[in-house]
Amino acid sequence: MKSNAHRTLKPIITVFGAAALIAAALVLLAGEYWVIVGTNIAMWIALTESWIVLSGLTGYISLGHATFIGVGAYVFVLLWNKVPLWLGLAAAGGSAAFVAVIIGTPCLRVRGPYFVILTLGVAEFVKFIVINIEAGLANFGRLVLGGPGVYMIFYLMTGLAALAYLLAHFARRSRFGLGLRAIREDENAAETSGVPVTLLKVVAFVLSAIIPGMVGALFVLRSGYFEPLQMFSPLLSLTMITMAVMGGSDDAPGPLFGVTFLIVLSEILWANAPEIYMIVLGVLLVVFVLGVPNGIYGRLLVARRRVAR
Amino acid sequence: MSAQLIAAALITGAIYALMAVSLNLIYGTMRLLNVAHGDLAMVGAYVSYWAFTLWGLPPTISFLAAIAFTGVLGVVLYKGLIERVLGGSRSAERVEANSLLVFFGISIVLENVAALCFTGTPRGYNFGNRILHFLEISVTESRLIALVAALVTVGAILVFFRLAIWGLAVRALIQDRNASALVGINIDRVFVMSSALGFALAGLAGTLVSMFESTTPFMGARYTIAAFVIIIMGGLGNLTGSVVGGFILGTLETIGIAFTGPNYRSILIYGVFIAILLWRPQGLFGGKVAAR
Repeated sequence: MKSNAHRTLKPIITVFGAAALIAAALVLLAGEYWVIVGTNIAMWIALTESWIVLSGLTGYISLGHATFIGVGAYVFVLLWNKVPLWLGLAAAGGSAAFVAVIIGTPCLRVRGPYFVILTLGVAEFVKFIVINIEAGLANFGRLVLGGPGVYMIFYLMTGLAALAYLLAHFARRSRFGLGLRAIREDENAAETSGVPVTLLKVVAFVLSAIIPGMVGALFVLRSGYFEPLQMFSPLLSLTMITMAVMGGSDDAPGPLFGVTFLIVLSEILWANAPEIYMIVLGVLLVVFVLGVPNGIYGRLLVARRRVAR
Repeated sequence: MSAQLIAAALITGAIYALMAVSLNLIYGTMRLLNVAHGDLAMVGAYVSYWAFTLWGLPPTISFLAAIAFTGVLGVVLYKGLIERVLGGSRSAERVEANSLLVFFGISIVLENVAALCFTGTPRGYNFGNRILHFLEISVTESRLIALVAALVTVGAILVFFRLAIWGLAVRALIQDRNASALVGINIDRVFVMSSALGFALAGLAGTLVSMFESTTPFMGARYTIAAFVIIIMGGLGNLTGSVVGGFILGTLETIGIAFTGPNYRSILIYGVFIAILLWRPQGLFGGKVAAR
């Protein structure tokens, strides 16, 4: 029988150890190009792991997670050069959580396709409010100058990816995650058996918002530029979903596969055939949903079980 | 509020109603979230643009080609992909989630194939630019044609679903799929026909829009979002609700913008949409069908 502390500590040490090793290997052995690709992969891992905490566990598919990236980025830009970097990052995460409480409490009453489209609607609503605020202030994009270099952003992003992975890992294994999965299977039955569904859903929403908010801040640092149309783009939310679907499963390893697969593929395609990149993405999405419904990780699990037998 | 504004609101509303009714037909019967709906309108718009540019065929004729093309596309997609979405999943939630992703993939493919083939250049053609005057209203011929065509089509659909036997079958399916199968409705055939009809109507809407707005590969998103806002406002599966919702959104967009300014268009539309959904989570007219 493993002790509780062991069950908690081991994944933390393993994940941070692995992240540090991979990061060190990339920095020492590969060039700056691969560090940038690595930053990209870490960013999408952080986002997709956060997304499955809500949508993978509860089945409430959010098409609005770009809101949190955008809000985090915006708050970070407003505070830029006024507060230290770490405080800006914390504020980005905190403001995303705050927005999640405000949005989540009413939105999570709505179920199924209504919820999906409502989150998209709310995301666009927030986007256009920010665009109008910025236009009212006569700002057309804001520059973020004097930020940390490529390597520092890479380390920070890798840290966020590791945190998000652990969040998804522990959320699924906790009593809290059990409640969320009960909601996914049958919300009415869960509620009747005493699961505090509203509270759990809102907490899951908030938890899945914090890291995307901080990713938004790092995203702005990396591009050196804040532009609402880019930071709130619905394409960001859709890419998260695509990666989660390709990876498969509601467990933490799933997104690793989906993200790596898609990023590597997009690097290859951008280099060789940029004009068909989006077409291939669309075809792959269809193929995965229809042909590999459990995603890459789901397939691997099935294969492993067969071998074990 | 001038009569001119009301006329403009009516035209936008009629196009939106056509888009929404056809989208709702697909959702209501099959529980498919067709996020590629606006892209089918884009396909229809290109059909009419090329028919006019290459052969000089006016949209009053080429709409037939647009309908045929998108209708056949609907059947092909149904037989090739959608059947598998419906067959592979047991629960309605699963079908909804999967169809959303599959249609998103289809949407990306359609948009980017169009961009690859036709470039992103906005396209338009000169048809029906003569301005007609009624009382104090001035309207171009093309917009008037679009208004009449959309109104007639939407009206015909509503009548069809009240009276024709196949229309009744679709409405029965919207109400209860299992019970419909029990009383002998051929579900598979109804599905194929609603795919064909739903897609064809989106193609028709594309033709109508192409007469007075520029056609681009990415023009569809706006109509997809509008159509979804409407069918959720009017209730999923509720066709009459979609028509009313279409005119509400058209009015809001046109008259709201006239009073506030174009910057507030999206805030206004999404704001009303969010407010309605939060106030009545099952949609404005959503009854038993949508409420879970």
